[in-house]
Amino acid sequence: MSLLTALWVVPLAGAVACALSGRAARWTSLAFSLAALALSAAALRPVLASSGAGLALAGGAPGAFGVSYALAADGLSLSLVGLTAFLNLICVAASWDLDVSAGYWACFQALACALCGVFLARDLFLFYIFWEATLIPMFFIIGLWGSDNRRRAALKFFIFTFAGSIFMLLALIAVVVLHQRATGEWTWNLAALRGTDLGPAAPWIFLGLLVGFGVKVPMVPLHTWLPDAHTEAPAAGSVMLAGVMLKMGVYGILRVALPLAPTVAAAWMPLLTLLAAISAVYGALCAMAQTDLKRLVAYSSIAHLGFCLLGVFSGTAQGLAGAALLMINHGITTGALFLLVGFLYERAHKRGLSDFGGLAERAPRLAFFFGFSIMASIGLPGLNGFVGEFLCLSGIWQSSLPIFAVLGVIGVTLAAVYALPAYQAVFWAPEGPGSVSAKVRDLGARESGILWTLCALMLWIGLAPQPWLAALAPSLRGLVR
Amino acid sequence: MTPAQVPIVAWLLFLAPISAILFGFFILRPLKPEWTHWPILLSCAVVAVASVALAARVYADGSFDLNFYRWAAVGDWGVDFGLRIDGPCVAVLTMVALVGSLIHVYAASYMKGDPGFSRFFLVFHLFFLAMIGLLTANNYVQMYLFWELVGLASYLLIGFWYQKESARKAALKAFLTNRVGDFGFLLALLLILTTFRVAQFHIIYLKVLVLASGGHTPEFLPLIGGLLIWAACAKSAQFPLYFWLPDAMEGPTPTSALMHAATMVTAGVFLLIRSWPLIAAVPGLPTAVAAIGAFTALASAVIAGTRKDLKRILAYSTVSHLGLMMLALGLGQIGVAVFHLIVHGFFKAALFLCAGNVGHAIHQPTANVDEVGGWRKALPWTYACFLLAALSLAGVFPFGGFFSKDAIVDAALSRGGLFAAAGLLVSIGSAFYIFRMLFLTFHGSRPEQKGLSAHPHEAGFGFVAPIVLLAVGSAFAGLLRPLIERLVDGGLHGLPVSVGGVALQMNLPGSAMIPGFEWRALLIGTAMAAIGAGAAYALTMIDAGWDWRWRVSSPRLVRVFDTDFGWKTLIGWIADGVTGLGNFAGRVLDKKWWDGAIESTGSAALGAGGLLSDASRGRLNEALWWMAAGAALLLAAGGLR
Amino acid sequence: MNAAVWATAGALFALGLAAVVLRRQMLAMLLGVELMVAAADLALVHGACRFSDPEALAAVAVILAVAAAEAVVGLSLILKVLRSGRGLDAGDLTELRG
Repeated sequence: MSLLTALWVVPLAGAVACALSGRAARWTSLAFSLAALALSAAALRPVLASSGAGLALAGGAPGAFGVSYALAADGLSLSLVGLTAFLNLICVAASWDLDVSAGYWACFQALACALCGVFLARDLFLFYIFWEATLIPMFFIIGLWGSDNRRRAALKFFIFTFAGSIFMLLALIAVVVLHQRATGEWTWNLAALRGTDLGPAAPWIFLGLLVGFGVKVPMVPLHTWLPDAHTEAPAAGSVMLAGVMLKMGVYGILRVALPLAPTVAAAWMPLLTLLAAISAVYGALCAMAQTDLKRLVAYSSIAHLGFCLLGVFSGTAQGLAGAALLMINHGITTGALFLLVGFLYERAHKRGLSDFGGLAERAPRLAFFFGFSIMASIGLPGLNGFVGEFLCLSGIWQSSLPIFAVLGVIGVTLAAVYALPAYQAVFWAPEGPGSVSAKVRDLGARESGILWTLCALMLWIGLAPQPWLAALAPSLRGLVR
Repeated sequence: MTPAQVPIVAWLLFLAPISAILFGFFILRPLKPEWTHWPILLSCAVVAVASVALAARVYADGSFDLNFYRWAAVGDWGVDFGLRIDGPCVAVLTMVALVGSLIHVYAASYMKGDPGFSRFFLVFHLFFLAMIGLLTANNYVQMYLFWELVGLASYLLIGFWYQKESARKAALKAFLTNRVGDFGFLLALLLILTTFRVAQFHIIYLKVLVLASGGHTPEFLPLIGGLLIWAACAKSAQFPLYFWLPDAMEGPTPTSALMHAATMVTAGVFLLIRSWPLIAAVPGLPTAVAAIGAFTALASAVIAGTRKDLKRILAYSTVSHLGLMMLALGLGQIGVAVFHLIVHGFFKAALFLCAGNVGHAIHQPTANVDEVGGWRKALPWTYACFLLAALSLAGVFPFGGFFSKDAIVDAALSRGGLFAAAGLLVSIGSAFYIFRMLFLTFHGSRPEQKGLSAHPHEAGFGFVAPIVLLAVGSAFAGLLRPLIERLVDGGLHGLPVSVGGVALQMNLPGSAMIPGFEWRALLIGTAMAAIGAGAAYALTMIDAGWDWRWRVSSPRLVRVFDTDFGWKTLIGWIADGVTGLGNFAGRVLDKKWWDGAIESTGSAALGAGGLLSDASRGRLNEALWWMAAGAALLLAAGGLR
Repeated sequence: MNAAVWATAGALFALGLAAVVLRRQMLAMLLGVELMVAAADLALVHGACRFSDPEALAAVAVILAVAAAEAVVGLSLILKVLRSGRGLDAGDLTELRG
């Protein structure tokens, strides 16, 4: 079995093993998560070392209708696979003390398997299968282990994103059929389909792909599933959802939509950039009005992904590299924030800004990590968030529409306006009547360890982003206009 | 020059604070939090010695500008991190290190017993470190990094006593206002990278000078300059973004001293010094800087004369003196600006710490002129130091401020017109507000006579010794004139840097010349100071009731001064507008309208389903009937075809 | 011969269908289903011989396997319902009602 296959099969085996191992599922899950992380590190190492040379294709002969088992990995794919494996391990560690059944652990392994599959697949049929497969474990994670309103949120999440994917599937089928008509050959292979003349259907195909990926990102106005899903999901579920699943959308645009319909993308650039800039500013504005800590972080994700899309649509080397790096950064930073909100919720079963107060004294470690992650999130230079945002904005500034960079910078400014008052309300303000701060004990050694890992990564990427940029850049070279 | 040849003292500037902070955070804070200040004070000593040694080295023509490692490079541009040790850098750095260290010593006594003692010292030292980093940065990205770190540290310190709502609000106001300024810095940064493809100061100077000698300026240069000025206005508390600074006194007094004297507000001026070749290349921009400075200096000097809180008077005084520095810069007098920045650091630190002693005497973080009075006997050391620093601030010969401030007034007089008038008026205003404060605090009637009880006494040695040193420093700072002149001149003309192995020498715009002793300046400066001080004496000592009488008789006027001529009200409206916009977007537009619309499609589908479900009763057999009937229908249809 | 086989298959199918639709006892309904499957098998085998098409035989093999699986699942479901104490009457099971 090649390394690439192992990257998604190991979590799959982990899911089965977890489901079978009953009470010991958390240990099984830990073992498989560690193994998956080791594998992805092994795959990532040569790529980081030799500045982004791709990994060999694990292929197979095309079967019926040209469907083949084609996997490949370059800097972009492997970084995201690494992020998946890393965050999965973080999730396992963060959920360690939860009283949950074996299914919980199995779902996370299955989710990691599907996510790795999405990032590795180079056959669009395979891609689509993995893409939809991510929904199933996440549906259960939200619907079974979420908070009070979980069923409704799970249903909304499923229907919303599934409806989006239908458009994507239609577009993919259209591309394959058009390719078959032109060449007489059935194939779903991404490389072979690149450059297919889509004719007059091109805008429709691009629109279909955009809807499918845009829902996942989520791009305003397709975003309303996200606050509900994030708010109701368990902490680790939110981490995976925000940390990796949202990146599927951006990844899809980078890997599928832009290469398949480059001319449409170029022609629609002003509209797309406008939507991205609106996402960045609108997400920040909405976050300002939130009174629920988790919803606030959810809306901040919309804003950050808006920056990401700004970079993607700019079509410049800086913007694309920034978008790719921002995906990783956002996974780490927002992951940390969701974990911290989750720890708060675990202790007090409340998430409202006005439910707390005075936590800086009661839980100084929690306050420190929260403050650190917030600073990374609002783009304090020296931490990871800044690098990606800065490169994205720089990319859009060099494109043909620099005015949107101004909107983006307004979004950066607004980030402090929503994040800091929330921080002050929870950690600095005195406890009000009905405050549940008394229930919040400080982080234990396990929880602190998780957050030290995340914060160290934030600082590392912030101070020395160059190795990451060098690994990501070659994957994106073909997309620079 | 290679990194290996960088003098060890330059490394110590970073190594000492970083290791002190890490040691304090990881080891002392959990084990012995009340010892946190020891490694930090040690680091201060190391930094002070290192910066003096570095200044001596640069004075002997040892400037350097060196890249260490590649931070990020994408496409056709790259940003390297490195060090730029040149004249303006070491001149300001030495002041920051000396003044900052003395404030650290003071803080060790002042903060003793506070429950947040170790947190205070760690953040305080981070503030110090951030300023060192800002001064030694050799490119805009690195400078932005430390610029923001300065902002973060100031946020944490202003909000140090976060239990108080006023402290939380002030901290937020400071950070958000600076963030609005950073909006300009970030955009300028993007423009700089797009235009010049590098962020390193030296290369940018080179490109600007080469282009200017060819007779044209890059397209975006005016915009870059304007945005950088905007950023500097936020950090250095200039109109229109000055309003956060007077509220920033909510932090502990050493914070205010450090922020006003050394670490925070000077950052904006320093940014403009670093960007001067860019700004000077655009006609009109220097005048704009001068105009902003003159206006701010004058308006805030007037407001300072009407405030009652000691620290607030000093805060407006800082705004006013930063305005003077901006005025000097705008007139191209870089040497004078740096000189005043340094002298101001000494006397303003001394004044703030004196105010801290006065507050400490009545067990409050700050004091109001109504609560104090006649304390020159009770606090003799504090009084003497305050007097020295006040004389320096008012620009009385031969104290430090005379040389630096009157050099600015002199430059304004040479320029003539409104600048000259502003310079003279600010001189009068400075003398007025500082002597008003002096008379009200240390002379006049005692608080008992005002119906308040207080038995002030001088605090311990740790409260007095740093102030004495600072006050003496401010008195003799005038002697630094030739040193600073030479250092700045070296920075403007002498820094040889090899670009691609070729040594390049260039002459940057601006003048390092600082006028020395002149009769004209002596006469005019002394006259202005005398007018201001005389007015203060007349209105506080001769007519002792005036200072509160006008407040009662004309509440309108009080309102005008309290709102800073209405500007604060306007800012309040803008802030409310942004909050309202956020609330509309989040609560109404997104939640009610858009998500509501989307959910209603779901509800519609459910409603339709409900109708159908009423038709079926969930009986298995019935369902199978329908299935069979459907299959039959399909078969029939197939058959017909 | 031909007509006789078709008629038998058709009759078997109709019997199965009737059992499924008319009876409410679940075991009987399951029997009906099996009967319908058997009828389809019969028709397929006959068709395979008639048109000498092996694919139909393959389909029969698959259907046999599926039918076996279906019997297993169906019987266990019925057992489960029985154990839950709700009797064998399909009319009492109305969870599918929307």
